[in-house]
Amino acid sequence: MSRTPTRAPRSILVVALLGIAFLALPVVGLLQRAPWSSLDDLLGRRAVLDALRVSLTVSALAAAIVLVLGTPLAWMLARVDIPMRRLVRALIVLPMVLPPVVGGTALLFALGRRGLVGQWLDRWFDITLPFTMAGAVVAATFVALPFYVMTVEGALRTMGDDLEQIAGTLGASPLTVLRRITLPRLLPAMGAGLALAWARALGEFGATITFAGNLPGRTRTLPLATFQALESDPEAALALSLVLLAVSLVVLLPTRDRWLPTR
Amino acid sequence: MNLPARRLPGTAILKLLTVGLVTLGLLMGGACSLLDDDSNGDRLTVFVASSLTDVISDLATAWESAGGPGIVEVVGGSNHLAAQLRDGAPADVFITADAALLELLAPDRVPIAVLDRFAANHLVVAVPIDDPAGIHGPADLQRTDTILVVCVIGVPCGDTSFERYGDLPIDSYEPSVRAVVARLALGEADLGIVYATDVAAEPRITAAWNEPPACPCVAYAAAAMTERGRPFLEFLESDRARDVLTTHGFAREAAPPGSP
Repeated sequence: MSRTPTRAPRSILVVALLGIAFLALPVVGLLQRAPWSSLDDLLGRRAVLDALRVSLTVSALAAAIVLVLGTPLAWMLARVDIPMRRLVRALIVLPMVLPPVVGGTALLFALGRRGLVGQWLDRWFDITLPFTMAGAVVAATFVALPFYVMTVEGALRTMGDDLEQIAGTLGASPLTVLRRITLPRLLPAMGAGLALAWARALGEFGATITFAGNLPGRTRTLPLATFQALESDPEAALALSLVLLAVSLVVLLPTRDRWLPTR
Repeated sequence: MNLPARRLPGTAILKLLTVGLVTLGLLMGGACSLLDDDSNGDRLTVFVASSLTDVISDLATAWESAGGPGIVEVVGGSNHLAAQLRDGAPADVFITADAALLELLAPDRVPIAVLDRFAANHLVVAVPIDDPAGIHGPADLQRTDTILVVCVIGVPCGDTSFERYGDLPIDSYEPSVRAVVARLALGEADLGIVYATDVAAEPRITAAWNEPPACPCVAYAAAAMTERGRPFLEFLESDRARDVLTTHGFAREAAPPGSP
């Protein structure tokens, strides 16, 4: 069945275009100032390659953890009648609205060497998270997880649980229902949520520098390297920004239309 | 059954559009007058190097009690502040731990007056007060089983650290000296390179070992960016300001270059 597209009033279109221009302008600004001629040289620098490697490793690991932790969490939020659901959901969304520097400080007080839990990690297992790549992964996961959970929970709610109920009455075990019905229908939303979370992890700055510090090759991600280059070497900062922009687009572009649930 | 046409007549659209635009205009006008808040108007904006965090409020108190206008302090790494100034940030006075940064402000923001080397500071290796890693002497700087944090290269304390101590097994480059102090004060790092004045000001950290003040060190320069900022430079030369600086452990002048 094909539907005729909604006819849009011109005034709405004008404002919408204004919104697009507002969001696109900074990108255009970045592109027109980019040092295209010396880009080869800039991108080949050790500092840039190091930051790219750290960023890709940290964000990929964060995305993996988000997938493993976030899927059951989203399912529980959508399907289980848990007490104080509103409070739980507010807690989960908190990292989305919290200034990342505050998040990083909070992580430090919880998982730092003298932190609530961190002191025991340090004493019993000799694990110290701050100033390690693992620390950067923790910071990135902290800010990225809500994006995945919210996307997947929303999809679970929209699709409802009618089919799951029916499958249950036909004798399918809960695990079979999950494997044969819920997960296959959920895949597009999981992909979209994962892309959002991954992109957020890539762009993470405040929590990373506060919790994990800043060391080339270990915790200095692309955003940290960009921030640092901005004052000493603006050309390199622009090159780093381009890399970040390109990587983020690679993560985000294939997803939106194809993976977001269309109704 | 025919549904009644939902299309608005042209004049109604025009009216709606007009109302919308007028509302938008009013909102923007309101927002602008809000954003243009002039509460800082008669105050003096002072951009000040991170290592002067503690002393600047005492200096401000002394300046205000001497009849000067109120002061808005903006504290940060000297190079970070310089970059903001270059990009047009409003400041009446810029106090930097590296006078060379003043030259980088040109051609857009040339200071109208400069007071060079009005105070000085030197680096020390500091540890948390309980010294978790047992740091005894310069050799411990090379240990790899400790967490060592320093200022990032580009910030005066970072450049000076590198010049003085050379390559070290560093675990994190912090954006300003106060960030290094915070790492030590919270016990997240075992040792760090900070200024002598930081050790004097922060009770949770202490010098790792006794060493006589040594250079390379930093000398502070103050620049008046506006005519309004000029009296603050004169104030910095006054006995009153010098007393405040000395109380906080700042040297009166940088040792001559090349001295030990």
